[in-house]
Amino acid sequence: MSEPHAPRRPLDPESAPPIFEASGLRKRYRLGAFTIEALRGVDLVVTRGEFVVVAGPSGCGKTTLFNLLGALDGPDSGSVLFEGSDLGRQTSGERTLFLRRKVGFVFQSFNLIPVLTAYENVEYPLRIDGLGRAERRRRTEEALASVGLAGRMHQRPDQLSGGERQRVALARGLVHDPRVILADEPTANLDSTTGAEIVDLLARTNTERGTTFLIATHDPAVIERSPRRIRLLDGRVIADEGAGARRPGGVR
Amino acid sequence: MKFAVIALRNLARNRRRTLLSLLIVAAGTIGTLLTAGFIRFSFEGLREAIIHGGIGQLEVVPRSDVAGGESSAERPGIPGMQDWQELRNGIEAMPHVLAAGAIVQFTGMLSKGERSAAVIAVANEPGRERRMRFEVKLRGGTGLPDAPPSDGEDAILLGTVLARSLGAEAGDLLTLLGITTDGTLNALDLRVAGLITTGLQDLDSRIVKMHLASAQRLLGTQNITSLVIGLDDTARTPEVQAELDRRLRGREPSLAIVDWKTRAPFYGQVESLYLGIFWFLGSVIFVLVCLSTSNTLMMSVMERVREIGTLLAIGTSRAQVAAIILLEALWLGLLGALAGDLLGIALVAAINGLGIQMPPPPGATGGIELRLATAPGDFAATVALMLVILGIAAAVPVGMSVRLRIADALRHV
Repeated sequence: MSEPHAPRRPLDPESAPPIFEASGLRKRYRLGAFTIEALRGVDLVVTRGEFVVVAGPSGCGKTTLFNLLGALDGPDSGSVLFEGSDLGRQTSGERTLFLRRKVGFVFQSFNLIPVLTAYENVEYPLRIDGLGRAERRRRTEEALASVGLAGRMHQRPDQLSGGERQRVALARGLVHDPRVILADEPTANLDSTTGAEIVDLLARTNTERGTTFLIATHDPAVIERSPRRIRLLDGRVIADEGAGARRPGGVR
Repeated sequence: MKFAVIALRNLARNRRRTLLSLLIVAAGTIGTLLTAGFIRFSFEGLREAIIHGGIGQLEVVPRSDVAGGESSAERPGIPGMQDWQELRNGIEAMPHVLAAGAIVQFTGMLSKGERSAAVIAVANEPGRERRMRFEVKLRGGTGLPDAPPSDGEDAILLGTVLARSLGAEAGDLLTLLGITTDGTLNALDLRVAGLITTGLQDLDSRIVKMHLASAQRLLGTQNITSLVIGLDDTARTPEVQAELDRRLRGREPSLAIVDWKTRAPFYGQVESLYLGIFWFLGSVIFVLVCLSTSNTLMMSVMERVREIGTLLAIGTSRAQVAAIILLEALWLGLLGALAGDLLGIALVAAINGLGIQMPPPPGATGGIELRLATAPGDFAATVALMLVILGIAAAVPVGMSVRLRIADALRHV
């Protein structure tokens, strides 16, 4: 295993341009007769190139927050600006292009397409974006090589280990060179050694490519590695610590 | 990775379910193919039986006789067509015309001793009828000679039911009474040459056939009722009719050209009935295939909700997701229909080879052999039909998949 990489620390977080500006985010779910308040007014600013962990116990609202930041869902109130543009005002087509080009997702359960090989899974975002064959091939092979899977690219997900699947998922998230990666519990389904390797990979990518990372986790090993840690509890930001942190409560 | 390949691989995920769906589509295809084959054979068989039973593809008749366009079997009267020999020669010189046979048709009273019966008499030219490939279904004795019989040598063919009611058989001498063109009653002795059937019991109880010369002798005229035209190919009927129409325009007295379908309204009724049955069966097949495959596609979508959510989350448009589901349906339709077509070809060959006998249709005197007539277009049509059905079957699953909220889909277990 290679030496752990330190995630990138923006030299001047105050002056770096914000990539996400969330304010007053509220989200409720109905669960039968009950209403669950998943987010109760979250304010958050993340600048370009940051490596941020959103930590908290299960049910604290991490996934809901990521869904709103990634435009997979809309808030009941509040807004999310991505590079100054309000995600809530996007048309359906604009949202599809946003998901296709600006953001990459890494899921806890990998969420690979089971009928596609590792290569095809990674190539998929480029194909739906209409890139030519040669360019797709170059970028797919490069992405797979960057996660150490150059020799496993023709295996299907069910022929790969958990760690390998998560590497494929990361390569898929990175292949189109997004501004930001939203990784929701990326180590939760992995053993500690493999989990550490994946975090190292995320950190190295942040360092080498300058990609912004937001990682939702309750894994202490991941939390410790992050230069900035936002803690969520019961749908609220209770702490924002480390380099680039805003004042407590997450409000800038 | 093209969507069509993804769709095909998705079908391979649950092979048993896909196989079942393919069998349903194949069964629908076979059902459609066999039904269409049976109906086409029935149409073709009935059409050729009607034409070669004696009415030919076309008939030239005085316009005054065809008000309403009814068949000559329903308008027996005094033969009114004069100077027909030259016209016949011209018609027989036309392309695709095998022959044009003169017909005299009239009603009369046929007697054998004490027994008498009203009859419809059809007098023709046996040699020309043979050239027109008309069939005489003999059930005893012999046919009529080609040459005109001399006076005293007249012969007659009797419908089987009529012969039974008169107690007549081949060789018997009968007397036929008819009304001449000047309105007097005349009688002619004829020897029974043979017994015939038309295939229809009602007609077999009234029909007699004789040589044209015998009828003209009885009725005291050289006129005929009509000229019946036989063609080498029924499909040529419209073009020959159009050419004939052009040639006869302005001729006095005016002549009408009547095609076989007009003369046999029975055919149109059978056609309507069979087409009705075909559409009914087709609708049943449509509903069965559509519902069962729609259910399969729905299950397939339900099992992949999270996967569809992932596709949407990584930038797949809803139209592209819809395309994947639709392509799965179209693959099922295409592969199922091709399998059905292959099995259908084998089944059609087997059924035609077995020579299965069907019971006589109502009013008919003999059974028919079950045969299926398929055309190359049927196979392409069934594939197109199944693609349409599967496209419709995919509507609900596609609608469901494109309405999924991504966050909900990703949470789906």
